[in-house]
Amino acid sequence: MKTQLKLTQKKGFKTLSFVGIMMLTLFVFNSSYGQAQNQQEVTKEKFTVKGNVSSEDGPLPGANIILKGTKMGIVSDFNGDFTFPKSLKATDILVFTYLGYEKVEVVINKDRTFLKIKMVTAAVEIIGALDSAKPYKSKRKN
Amino acid sequence: MKSIKLILWLFFACQCPAQISDFKSINFKKADSIALAYKGEELTHLPDLSYKLTSSLNTDVERFRAIYKWVCTNIANDYSLYTKNNRKRNRFKDDPLKLKAWNTTFKKTLFKTLIKDKRTICTGYAYLLKELAQFAGLNCKIVQGYGRVSSTDIENLERPNHSWNVVKLNNKWYLCDPTWASGIPNTETNQFTFKYNDGFFLADPQLFAINHFPVEAKWSLLNGDNSSLKGFLKHPIIYGQAYKHLVLHNTPKQLHQVIKKHERITFNYQLKDMTKAKEVHFIIANGFSDWIAKPTQTTIKKTNLELEYYFKTTGFYDLHVYIGKDLISTYTIKVI
Repeated sequence: MKTQLKLTQKKGFKTLSFVGIMMLTLFVFNSSYGQAQNQQEVTKEKFTVKGNVSSEDGPLPGANIILKGTKMGIVSDFNGDFTFPKSLKATDILVFTYLGYEKVEVVINKDRTFLKIKMVTAAVEIIGALDSAKPYKSKRKN
Repeated sequence: MKSIKLILWLFFACQCPAQISDFKSINFKKADSIALAYKGEELTHLPDLSYKLTSSLNTDVERFRAIYKWVCTNIANDYSLYTKNNRKRNRFKDDPLKLKAWNTTFKKTLFKTLIKDKRTICTGYAYLLKELAQFAGLNCKIVQGYGRVSSTDIENLERPNHSWNVVKLNNKWYLCDPTWASGIPNTETNQFTFKYNDGFFLADPQLFAINHFPVEAKWSLLNGDNSSLKGFLKHPIIYGQAYKHLVLHNTPKQLHQVIKKHERITFNYQLKDMTKAKEVHFIIANGFSDWIAKPTQTTIKKTNLELEYYFKTTGFYDLHVYIGKDLISTYTIKVI
């Protein structure tokens, strides 16, 4: 009886230590935890970011602006203007996208709270062959 | 306790890059149902659309599948855009400045039409797929090259005319063609009917190379086993349905064949579903009439199907291979 109890206890400890090691390694090797904490300590100051998005044809309404790594974002208005809905801190990255234009990424710092973004059209050659289910027909002279 | 250990191991395993080289064991039902659930979504918020399509899926291949399926089933081929672009590119083919100016103007029209009407041509498909995939953190690229179908001037493809994609999944590149997978436009009525063809999703590079020739050779994914453009233009014509039925198209290797009377010509394919072997037949045309013919001899070895045929009279024939109602390939045969 006694030995049995001891055995289960021992087994319990073993598993516990296994779990412990696992957790420890998880925290040690998961770099994102460390980063997030550091950033918060260094820069606690937050500020509002505004700006204007344009293309070579003038203001670009409807451009998507998102905070990198999140779902949070806003769309530029009719004049291409935007005010990001959440206060941002230095090192945050805003990603500007619009179908047919090259993506723009901007690293935020406190001297840069008004962003003038000029988007350029995607460098892609437009071509297209359509599939056909029409049986091929040889050109015949007769 | 054992189950806790297992869960922890799994948790760990998920943090490591997966090493599956084949996705046959993955069921795409969930990814496909997500693509269906968001049918009709607008293209005005691409990051959001990409998130909706992928956030509840666990593997990269499923995430890519949901995006790919959505693109193929929501974006229509625009035949008028195609003809307009083709005409202009032909006209400016020897004038690089005018061609560049046309491309700049047309690019705007193309992307506007894509956002507003969800209609486009190849580059629009490939571009949209790439963008959505990149928002989901996937490495997807556009490949420019030559596409060879029965309606193109197959002997004289002078310039690249088609775009498709490559995607990196578990450290390996895969091919797909969203344009041709979406359906087939009716060139006479300018109508487009969606008809998803699953064969173009992560297609076999060897089959793909029969009617796709990339400008950058490495994107054939054939590891240096490429043919030249000249060689490519001699390939047989294979149709969209070939991707539905074939794993490989082995022989004949060229469109034009010359044989003697009573000499046998051999057709060798690897089929996905061998039960379809009995539905294989030919339709032969000599310019005056068409007729159905059965192979002279059929040999089946595991997944390999070998057909033989010979002609009793001289002449010039177009021979079409069908599986059931599906047109697979065409060869021309000169019988001397």
